[in-house]
Amino acid sequence: MKTRRAVVAACLMVTSLLLAACGSGSGDSGDGPVTLTFQSLSDQPAAIAQTQKIVGDWNKAHPDVQVKIVQAGWDGVYDKLITQFNAGTAPDIVHYEAASIAPFATDGYLADLTQYLPAEKKADIPKGVLDSVTVDGKVVAFPTELQSYVVFANKTQLQQAGVTIPTGATMSWDQLREIAKATTKDGKFGLGWGLSSPTAAFIALAPGFGGKYFEGTGNDAKLSVGQGEQALPQLVDAMAHQDHSIMPVTLTQSGTKALAPFYAGQIAMTVQGSYQAANIAKDAPKGFDWVVLPPLAGSAGPAQAANPQTLSVNKDSGHVKEAAEFVDFFTSTDNLAAMNEADALIPPTTSARQALTTKLGTKNGWGPILASGQYLTSAPYLFAGKYAQWKDTVATPAYQQFLGQKIDAAGLAKQLEDGWKSVSK
Amino acid sequence: MRGLVRPAQYAALALYILFLGFPLLWLMSASVKSSGELNSLTVSLLPSEWHWENYTEALDKQGLIRSAGNSLVVALASTALAVLIAVPAAYVLARLRGKLRVAGVGWILVSQVFPVVLIILPLFLILRTLGLADNLAGLTLVHTTYMLPFALWMLQGYVAAIPVELEEAGAMDGASRLTVLRTIVFPLLAPGVVATAMFSFVSSWNEFFFALVLLQSPENYTLPITLNMFVGGEGKVALGPLAAGAVLAAIPSIVFFSILRRKLTSGLMAGAVKG
Repeated sequence: MKTRRAVVAACLMVTSLLLAACGSGSGDSGDGPVTLTFQSLSDQPAAIAQTQKIVGDWNKAHPDVQVKIVQAGWDGVYDKLITQFNAGTAPDIVHYEAASIAPFATDGYLADLTQYLPAEKKADIPKGVLDSVTVDGKVVAFPTELQSYVVFANKTQLQQAGVTIPTGATMSWDQLREIAKATTKDGKFGLGWGLSSPTAAFIALAPGFGGKYFEGTGNDAKLSVGQGEQALPQLVDAMAHQDHSIMPVTLTQSGTKALAPFYAGQIAMTVQGSYQAANIAKDAPKGFDWVVLPPLAGSAGPAQAANPQTLSVNKDSGHVKEAAEFVDFFTSTDNLAAMNEADALIPPTTSARQALTTKLGTKNGWGPILASGQYLTSAPYLFAGKYAQWKDTVATPAYQQFLGQKIDAAGLAKQLEDGWKSVSK
Repeated sequence: MRGLVRPAQYAALALYILFLGFPLLWLMSASVKSSGELNSLTVSLLPSEWHWENYTEALDKQGLIRSAGNSLVVALASTALAVLIAVPAAYVLARLRGKLRVAGVGWILVSQVFPVVLIILPLFLILRTLGLADNLAGLTLVHTTYMLPFALWMLQGYVAAIPVELEEAGAMDGASRLTVLRTIVFPLLAPGVVATAMFSFVSSWNEFFFALVLLQSPENYTLPITLNMFVGGEGKVALGPLAAGAVLAAIPSIVFFSILRRKLTSGLMAGAVKG
């Protein structure tokens, strides 16, 4: 009898839980104003608040077109979007990054925003950045935020080593190498660079040496690894194994992990994504005197490949025009400046960058970081069809072997090129 | 010398518990450290300053408590469903002989072969057609389906371990089939049911991918999805709040386990006596 009561109780519990669960689904009545869903990936508390503010401002000014934020996370969002686009349930406005949005554009899931891009805004976005969101001649997204790779330095350590801290518009990689050599002593290293996943950094910085890696788009993209592409890996190799000025363990760590020895004074400089300025300002020990050095320039200048965060519009939205107008609103100068300040990133438009420079000056390294934004240029790898697969399965292991001195430069080039042929078959 | 054996056993046990519990201790320590301390080279179990605001931030972030409630609903419902379906099915599977059993066992194994990425799109379309996409009931069904093969596999092993002679002896004494099942088989099977329930609960509680894809509305997000929000782009991780969120997320599992642990023990004893 007791057992029977337990079984009945269990059945009732399951039924009630399921009924309760059924009631929690979202629904769209179809009446009233147009409601656009905006899948946002903002992750910092200040950026989330700023996103909410921008959306709130829009909703207040546009009672007939209301935007609803759907907060999502970066991890797994590609799989989520693939399913959503295939099933016809993707949000109207999609926040993502240029490198990942390009395949969706190629597959025809994104609206062409060219006609919604005002001429003055087009002129405000540097060509290289605009190129990064242009697929087959169509603007498929508006860029919202950018990051560059910059050098953070322990000012005290550099001064103690008798190094003149560079202050020009740019600094060369050779200067970086010399400073790293000069500050490598007493068991401390000149540079720490978290290169456990080196491909993104090497490819982003290759334009400074004339490196392009890819030509063409989609499955027809061709990869070639010449001197321009090899220059930076070879420089890192020389600094690590000839000069011994790079802390070896950092080569196997993530970028963030390399900050710990920087705070501890074990490394004088570290190459990081520019957004780390906010973390360093927050986490560095009291009295830690740090600076951001000028943008790095290679033999071809200070160019870096841009992979901006973006806002796109779902082609099947049903309200493409309204969604594009919201995207235009979101990327106004004031909104971009506020958003990038909150996220410690670089605005993709010249006007927003200037507004932020005027507001923040050089505090917390903002000066050189914002200056580096003007050197961000197009990134051919964004449009190479199997780039993500090649990066994870071919390039990263090959670079790791090279930096671990298991293969030489010729072996690296061969692995990269043969690997590309293999994955892009 | 013999007097030292017991203390040595306790010492070994304590060391083993410390070894097993260290990740949890470290997690709890990380949850009250400042961001600066978490990113420093100085390693210490005890924080130099206690930063309880990690918990405040974790609780504020995207409705952690609401997500925990959603996870609890889905995990309890899918566990109950999986166990209710698996118990009779496992009994039949264990006791059945012939080609049908081979086919059944083979199907269980085959069902484990498919990667979830392969099935997620058709699954999503089916659930959408049924009006169960972006819905905790839909996720419950998916979790139940997902965990059922392993639950079946686990339970049929427990059933197979119960000597069929016990059932035959019961029948010889005049007990009906249902009486035999209720008085002999089920008590002996209880530890297996409890173990299966524990496994099912944890599988559902921790499941990320199905929830990520199937749930669209933040108000329906489960805990792993919300915790995932602490990991940003470019490898940015809010370590302190993430650790605090993970500590809070572990509490329901610990409570569930401590409740079921007693059942597991009593079930084992019941089995020992009757066996």
